[in-house]
Amino acid sequence: MYPNQTTAAALPRRNALKVIAVCAMSPGLAGSLNAYAQASNPFEKTQSTQLFEQWRAMSRVGYGPTPQLVRALQTASSPKVWTVQQIDLAYAASQVAPLMASDLSSLNAPLPDIFDAAQRERQARAAIKAVTADSAGNTNTNELLNNRNNRRMDFSEPADPLYFNRSMVQKAAAWRLGACSQPNDENPLLARMTEFWFNHLNVYSGKGAVRPFIGHYVVNVARAHALGKFEDLLLASARHPAMLYYLDQFQSVADGSPAGQGRLRGLNENYARELMELHTLGVAGGYSQNDVHETARILTGWTVGPNEANGFRFAQRLHDTGRKVLMGQYYPDGSLNSGEREGEQAIRRLARHPKTAARISLRLAQFFVSDSPAPALVSALAQTFQNSQGDIRVVLRALLESNEFWHPENKLFKTPMDFACSALTTVSSTDKLADSTDRRRLILTENYLSEAGQPLHDWQTPDGYKFDAATWLVPEALTRRADFALAITRQVSDLDFLQPYLSATTRAAIAQEKPALRAGLALASPDFQYK
Amino acid sequence: MPSNILKPHPKAIDRRQALQTLLGVATACSAWAAPMAWAQSARPGQSEGRLVVVFLRGAYDGLSALVPHGDANYYALRPSIALAKPDGTAQTTLRLDNTFGLHPALAPLMPLWRQGVLTALPATGSPDPTRSHFDAQHQWEIGTPGKSGNAAGWMNTLAGSLAGTSADVRAISAQSIEGAENKPQAVGVGEANPQILAGSAAVQLVAKGQAATRQGAVGDERTRDAVMRLYSGQDEISKAFRAGADSRRQTAKTLSNAMSESTTSGMGSNDMNKDISREMQLANNGAGNAQGLLLDAQHLNTLMRQDRRLRLGFLSAGGWDTHANQGNALGALANNLGNLANTLVQLRREFSQTNDVVVVASEFGRTSAENGTRGTDHGHGNTMWIMGNRVNGGRVHGGWTGLGIGNLHENRDLPIHNDFRSVFAQLLRSTQGLSNANIDKLFPGFAWDKSLDSMLRT
Repeated sequence: MYPNQTTAAALPRRNALKVIAVCAMSPGLAGSLNAYAQASNPFEKTQSTQLFEQWRAMSRVGYGPTPQLVRALQTASSPKVWTVQQIDLAYAASQVAPLMASDLSSLNAPLPDIFDAAQRERQARAAIKAVTADSAGNTNTNELLNNRNNRRMDFSEPADPLYFNRSMVQKAAAWRLGACSQPNDENPLLARMTEFWFNHLNVYSGKGAVRPFIGHYVVNVARAHALGKFEDLLLASARHPAMLYYLDQFQSVADGSPAGQGRLRGLNENYARELMELHTLGVAGGYSQNDVHETARILTGWTVGPNEANGFRFAQRLHDTGRKVLMGQYYPDGSLNSGEREGEQAIRRLARHPKTAARISLRLAQFFVSDSPAPALVSALAQTFQNSQGDIRVVLRALLESNEFWHPENKLFKTPMDFACSALTTVSSTDKLADSTDRRRLILTENYLSEAGQPLHDWQTPDGYKFDAATWLVPEALTRRADFALAITRQVSDLDFLQPYLSATTRAAIAQEKPALRAGLALASPDFQYK
Repeated sequence: MPSNILKPHPKAIDRRQALQTLLGVATACSAWAAPMAWAQSARPGQSEGRLVVVFLRGAYDGLSALVPHGDANYYALRPSIALAKPDGTAQTTLRLDNTFGLHPALAPLMPLWRQGVLTALPATGSPDPTRSHFDAQHQWEIGTPGKSGNAAGWMNTLAGSLAGTSADVRAISAQSIEGAENKPQAVGVGEANPQILAGSAAVQLVAKGQAATRQGAVGDERTRDAVMRLYSGQDEISKAFRAGADSRRQTAKTLSNAMSESTTSGMGSNDMNKDISREMQLANNGAGNAQGLLLDAQHLNTLMRQDRRLRLGFLSAGGWDTHANQGNALGALANNLGNLANTLVQLRREFSQTNDVVVVASEFGRTSAENGTRGTDHGHGNTMWIMGNRVNGGRVHGGWTGLGIGNLHENRDLPIHNDFRSVFAQLLRSTQGLSNANIDKLFPGFAWDKSLDSMLRT
């Protein structure tokens, strides 16, 4: 799907360490816990501990192994060293535009162009509606619009103006699935952090106005700030059309603003509430209904700017210039005139709040370590977050160097997204041509995610997806993983590089079956469901 | 990573326990570990009641569904989104009495109202003041206002308590999962794992939409054998997988058979299929949000009809968080309400035996006044709907003090005149024969609300 390029991530520094040969008869990881516990000298870890730590690094810092990643881990001085190295590599990668197949690149087009095309689609649809309104005034647009097949991820032709939004949603999905499954093209930790932040600052592709901006938001908000300062990320999301539309902020104005025809417009609390409840402080963060109202007043006039490069405009004339009190502080403060700056100050203040540090730290620990991370780890991360003014790189270093991250008892069950991306990663790594991701596989993957209850960019509410086993380890849903594993490995003969990471029991069960089934069974195995 | 060293996390224990019980693992810390015959059929000789809860996530706007057209404040508070007073023409409120009426999109419910099997309670909810969707939903689903920690869902607890009380003990099929006593009493369609069904009792969770009808890989014997060998262990995930394969095959067969029967017999299915294909179209366009609810309800109907052991059903739909441009007689909310009405009519077809009850509720209500963007923000009290033969329907129940500013909660929202737990307490005592002590296990600290005693027929 991308030009075949080797990135820094694929070229680990050779640390003059001997390559550890992986023995095909290894006992798998079943014994690794004991081995780990008995490793009195950390420099003499047993082979199964090595394998265990390699798996953990590849599956949590990225989306699972490829032969190339396995080699990188084997040649690194330790899985921990490789893991920590990814932080700076991911940061460097986040500072440049992502690799993108040319037929997907319009998802990252300049925002004014996206606004224009979305406008053209609205006009085209309105024209159809006008034609097909029946005598009762009901329109049958849906039947008309559905008279064609839009389910193929084929973007070789320019999008029909009528289907611009849909094509943008699909391109965003295609790029995301490519990025999470091609560690040569996208640093795996960056793909992980993009997932984490998109989910934390969720927007929903089912909301009409949001749809054409989904991919742009993923790339320029979640990815671009994935390892930067949290407050910059938060402000970028606050000003992005996808978020402005999703939580209705774009139309929240000072109460009593004129709206034409003698009507008045006013406040909408939606974004203000979720900014505090979900993006920053958390529901028990000590704010009141009145604080929600005051934040909404502070942010009046923050709206979309279809002609602006960043898609954002501050409409001073729709701004509430009165004095507000948010959590005990006045906005604007004495030195300011009332305007855009007070909103920026309020958002930065929320971003730096200790409750925010605690909330982000807990969610990161749940994403990387365990469903119920040790409180001591979370508070240490929160302290790091505050000491570094919300520098995500510094927090990640503390997290990935922690004993908890490496502890065998801190298990994580893969979410459908983890499972889909890791299956896609292993399968794509067997392709002879590394520069083309098979779009049929992407469609399969997208469909699996929808069926599993974790459709890509398509969670309706601003809380984002849960990551815990309690949500996803459900009997019937487990069997759907097997469907996907078998479907996506139809043309894949073997995944031998996975073997050392599977338990002896699993390997024996797979060996009994005919070769055509083996790759699918490896991905469907219980071992592959954990990261 | 290898499954034999798995240990459930303490926090995840409630939902994980569900699996363990399903798999015949004793759960020492569960009050319901041993099923007790603590509920008797409410009326001997009558069919055992079945309870279906339809949960509207996102806080639906009850004041648009059950319209207080007789209250002048309603029109003052909502200059652009109020439903017009009833005048008998299309697009106006459908009059129920001098105070209330139905949204025109709810017209399909009018016959049920007139038959007296449908009622609404206009100002119900949880006493906890939170305006967070996610906290409010969590508290509603665990049956404990104000509690934020992990706990079992109250429908799961109820399912566990009903286990063993069923008079119908079905022969166990060869493929049956380990332990007939662990057969689910509750089924949820559509959501991955809703909190309300999470806990130590076995429940059946069925995929949303058409996916529920497909057996997938486990439908093919060779593949199934191969996959089952991978999951032949005694660890948690293996047991869960085996139970899932079994349940999924059964579900898909049941639904497919029902589908082919209805298409060959033509039992009202043409209209239904037309409805559903339209739903699907809407879904494909990202238009409606209660889209898919109709199909999920149809699946729920079929599954609960075929397996009489299933006494509890759960459905949900999102898309009710109407902060902007919610419309009135037409618009996004009207479309959703239309979907909801069709769903309820569909559920009525199945759940019309003596003690069957269908309940519609949401986590909280919305502001009484419209906001500055022709929508509504997060509120407090809301309308709950109850449908069933035992319902003293065709009239509104519960408290109502109008929309005068002095009568609003925090001068902005509907108050709570009736706790949602009191409403369920009435239903559970009358249709499931639960004692107050047992209801208190589902809703710790609930209080009996005598003002609702007339809500059901004895």
